[in-house]
Amino acid sequence: MPVLDITLKDNALIMIHSLFLINNAGDLFLEKHWKSVISRSVCDYFFEAREKAVEPDNVPPVIRTPHHYLINIYREKIFFVSVIQTEVPPLFVIEFLHRVAETFQDYFGECSESTIKDNVVIVYELLEEMLDNGFPLATESNILKELIRPPTILRSMVNTITGSSNVGETLPTGQLSTIPWRRAGVKYTNNEAYFDVVEEIDAILDKSGTTVFAEIQGVIDACVKLSGMPDLTLSFMNPRLLDDVSFHPCVRYKRWESERVISFVPPDGNFQLMSYHISAQNLVAIPVYVKQNISFFETGSSGRLDITVGPKQTMGKTVEGLVVTVHMPKVVLSANLNATQGTYNYDPVTKILVWDIGKLNPQKLPNLKGSLSLQSGAPKPEENPSLNIDLKIQQLAISGLKVNRLDMYGEKYKPFKGVKYVTKAGKFQVRT
Amino acid sequence: MPYLGSEEVVKELRRALSNPNVQADRLRYKNYITKVIRYMTQGLDVSALFMDMVKASATVDIVQKKLVYLYMCTYASDKPDLALLAINTLRKDCADPNPMVRGLALRNMCNFRMPGMTEYIEQPIVAGLRDKASYVRRVAVLGCAKMHSLQPNTEIDGTIVNELYALLRDPDPVVVVNCLRALEEILKDEGGVVINKPIAHHLLNRMKDLDSWAQSEVLTFLLRYRPRSDDELFDILSLLDAFLLSSHAHVAVATLRLFLHLASAHPTVQADALLRTSAPLLATCGAASRELRFAGLCHVQQVMRSQPGLFGTHYKRFFCGYSEPSYIKFRKMEILVELVNDENVALVLEELRSYCTDVSPELAQAAIAAIGRIARTYSEKCLDILTGLLGLKQDHITSAVIQTFRDLVWFCPQSTAAVCQTVGACVDSPQDSEGKQALLWLLGEHGDQISSAPYVMEGYIDGLKTELSSAVKMELLTAAVKMFLCRPAETQDMLGRLLHYCIEEESDVCVRDRALLYYRLLQRGVEETRKVVTGPKSDPSMSVLTGRQEEPISEWDSTFNTLGPLAGCDLCPQTAATSAADQPSCRAENELLPGKVDTDVTLSSPDDAEEEISLSLGPPLSHETFEKMWLDLETLHRQTLGFPRPRAAPDTLQAALQLVKIQTLAFTPGDTVPWKAYIYTRSTETLILAELLQGDQQAPGSDESLVVSVKQQPVNQHAIRGFVSVLKSVLQTLNPIKSKN
Repeated sequence: MPVLDITLKDNALIMIHSLFLINNAGDLFLEKHWKSVISRSVCDYFFEAREKAVEPDNVPPVIRTPHHYLINIYREKIFFVSVIQTEVPPLFVIEFLHRVAETFQDYFGECSESTIKDNVVIVYELLEEMLDNGFPLATESNILKELIRPPTILRSMVNTITGSSNVGETLPTGQLSTIPWRRAGVKYTNNEAYFDVVEEIDAILDKSGTTVFAEIQGVIDACVKLSGMPDLTLSFMNPRLLDDVSFHPCVRYKRWESERVISFVPPDGNFQLMSYHISAQNLVAIPVYVKQNISFFETGSSGRLDITVGPKQTMGKTVEGLVVTVHMPKVVLSANLNATQGTYNYDPVTKILVWDIGKLNPQKLPNLKGSLSLQSGAPKPEENPSLNIDLKIQQLAISGLKVNRLDMYGEKYKPFKGVKYVTKAGKFQVRT
Repeated sequence: MPYLGSEEVVKELRRALSNPNVQADRLRYKNYITKVIRYMTQGLDVSALFMDMVKASATVDIVQKKLVYLYMCTYASDKPDLALLAINTLRKDCADPNPMVRGLALRNMCNFRMPGMTEYIEQPIVAGLRDKASYVRRVAVLGCAKMHSLQPNTEIDGTIVNELYALLRDPDPVVVVNCLRALEEILKDEGGVVINKPIAHHLLNRMKDLDSWAQSEVLTFLLRYRPRSDDELFDILSLLDAFLLSSHAHVAVATLRLFLHLASAHPTVQADALLRTSAPLLATCGAASRELRFAGLCHVQQVMRSQPGLFGTHYKRFFCGYSEPSYIKFRKMEILVELVNDENVALVLEELRSYCTDVSPELAQAAIAAIGRIARTYSEKCLDILTGLLGLKQDHITSAVIQTFRDLVWFCPQSTAAVCQTVGACVDSPQDSEGKQALLWLLGEHGDQISSAPYVMEGYIDGLKTELSSAVKMELLTAAVKMFLCRPAETQDMLGRLLHYCIEEESDVCVRDRALLYYRLLQRGVEETRKVVTGPKSDPSMSVLTGRQEEPISEWDSTFNTLGPLAGCDLCPQTAATSAADQPSCRAENELLPGKVDTDVTLSSPDDAEEEISLSLGPPLSHETFEKMWLDLETLHRQTLGFPRPRAAPDTLQAALQLVKIQTLAFTPGDTVPWKAYIYTRSTETLILAELLQGDQQAPGSDESLVVSVKQQPVNQHAIRGFVSVLKSVLQTLNPIKSKN
């Protein structure tokens, strides 16, 4: 491995030199340089690593080349490859690249090759505003949206008719506000503040249904549209549940430490107020159980599959959007199954069986049963397939977290307030 | 990317842009400009339109301006003479009443990468530094750095530097950070921006106003500052405290790095900071983005070098998910190996066992190697798993298991018997060269304990013609010679054939030379050969006893939160050392070096430096013989050692004693009272038997401390003193805390 010849031990500059966007097939479809232009050939090192990794998922995030570091993230089937010339904190760059991807998602509804190509001019404008000379400049979606307006079908029609643009014509007020995350002089006719408590269960269950590992990753997303400079206080019924939390910079941490309330001047619009982890296993309820039997016969190149899903700890709520995904061994050619509820689909190329169940009815448990046919002559597969579960429970935070009240100070009007809860499966896996 | 018909496209665009009708219609005009930009971003060369585009920049429409600026920046260096024409427009815009326009123009002017720009941009930049709009000041400050990089060899302009230092006090936080960035770049050759006490405290107080990126950068700059006194240090730390728990992992980690750096003289403060950051670090390890998870794991690995216990209770967080990328799984396995303790060993092994059948052979091999690492402390359980894996009859698994066995007997000699039994019973042989080498090494080194060894080896010798790897052939030569030394009758014939083939027919020079070397050596006589070829059968270092040392934080804090550990060039030194020792070939080389040939371990006693004694194992004693001799002989020496028995696992104790050539015959299990152990060893012409005793009512002084009773045949007091001191030093090593005794 060649040693990086630029050793800038004393240099504290964090600079992103260039960005390349590369799709799944290896086509480089967009490049942006914030300093001098770096030849595309630097990506050859990336392509080499990409080839070695076989699966796009497996490309290591940091690649060393003789003169640069390439730091990449893989999102929505796109590699965001950044070129770095100096020693930088890796988390900084990785988080920044994710921020770029999130901004695209925010602007175009999805972050895909086609939307980026369709909106290439806005993409360049955004990249130009997000970094200057390689330094992060404006990354808060609030401020960016004032500099560059996101495209909408309606607006592009209006623009075509009136000739107006999707670029802010005035200096963004947020840039002048004393609080960096909130612009001054916000005005709304309807003042409203909504909070979504979203919890994801990450769990690994073993063959017998015992929990090997489980934790809850929770976030509280907020949509606050309040005039002026409101000062909010959010309190919970059971704040003791939360021991591992991190907040949006607007939250006053001292008050959380002393009183366990969240006190903050909110940014305008959508933002993530806080995120938390609950890993004490007795607190993590597992909403469904899975009874499964997947077996392959020594002879006759076939196998059997039998999966039943049932409710476990659902706190009386309905489990919706239930999907079971099975990664089958390579030798499985096809599946001839019968589902009592929902539909199933087996893709013989990717070897993925997807069973879309929908709503879970506790009276009549959904079952998927039938035979698998294997490549003839192939030996019985060694590894057992793993099941991934996807589900959703509305109006429930599985940890039991409950918002008590929201108070507003500093402004006179009465806002509309609302809290929604939803529980989803994160990385929820059942071993067989 | 040469585009077909690009000339046509450019011609058509030029026609449209210069058409007065189009120019009159704002909307159509802009659409054409957008088209130009679109072609440009796709890699089409539209630089020929430069003149037309410069004209288009004279407009009140900000979007149109932005697009044209983008175009001009891209092609300015190709068309410097034409770009000069655009500068007038830009300079005019720099005086526009709208701060947005001023900023935009200034920024783009600074982005023109062409020589001779300085004289045009200097005046607008200096004006911009004093602009009342912060947006313009931000741009102007960075403009100073860009201006400098246009002419890197000119002298630094003192007035600008001073002005930038003054602007560090600007009310706008982004201006402050941009000043740092600009100064750093301008003063690169002089060691960057100077962080003195007022600046450091000013920055610390502004921290909460900055966005997360700027926070991270300021924290990196602050690494340069050394507080004058402890009071000041603790003031700084308390200002930074809240950032340890920032919701942005990069800020939390940057703060931790600064903490570790500043508090290098206060280990308790460092430990406390590590403890507090462990929650955010663990959260990063479970983040939704796999790249963040990976970075989190790398940081956890570094922290564990000093605080291995910090994440012990969270070991389940490091279990691998099915769909995780392999680079994450590798790191998680490395961490799991470090986190194993008496309570979780069963669960961790069960988990690792399930990875051994992973679809990816690399992962499976890594999992098997991980079990092998754990086997150094918990050999029995691991050996069961590894033996079970051989039953799967998968080539890559068999090969990895055999390689793991090789490393295991090297580090952990007490498992030799079990391994040899398994290897002897294993029907499949590995197919890849790494695995073959490992198997051959085991056969050569421990051929006396594997009954089928000569037959297996004969198979390899017969198949020599089809063997491609010369490394395997070399290993085969060494193994065959070693086997000849312990089982001459069965091996002589095949060794002859092997040497004949390698000397007469082999084309690889290295193999031929190795064969000739052995041939000449054997001509010198069997004893000579034995002296040269047989070396120690296990790693003579004591690392297995003490486990991994906790490293001081200063070992790794300089690379914390840098790219090194993620790019894999900062392997911790111990791993690197181990992997070097794992190479059988380099072991073989060592064995061939004269002067390294010592089968006996020589230890100088700590009590009496003059007293030296060499112990050896010799032929094993049966239980009956030992018992008979113990009953027949008189106790020659009884001594209270002054410390209790080591609480190490039986395996470890046995291994430790074996390393100093003391054989353990039997001991009472676990916590039974009284606790007894019987051991024996040989020294120059004498056999020493000993009993270790603790907690026996009848023996005086044995409640608190170990009592050793020694019997010997024939009597040699010198040897007894040496034996006791060796024994004492080993047992003390195993008693980590009481070693001061």
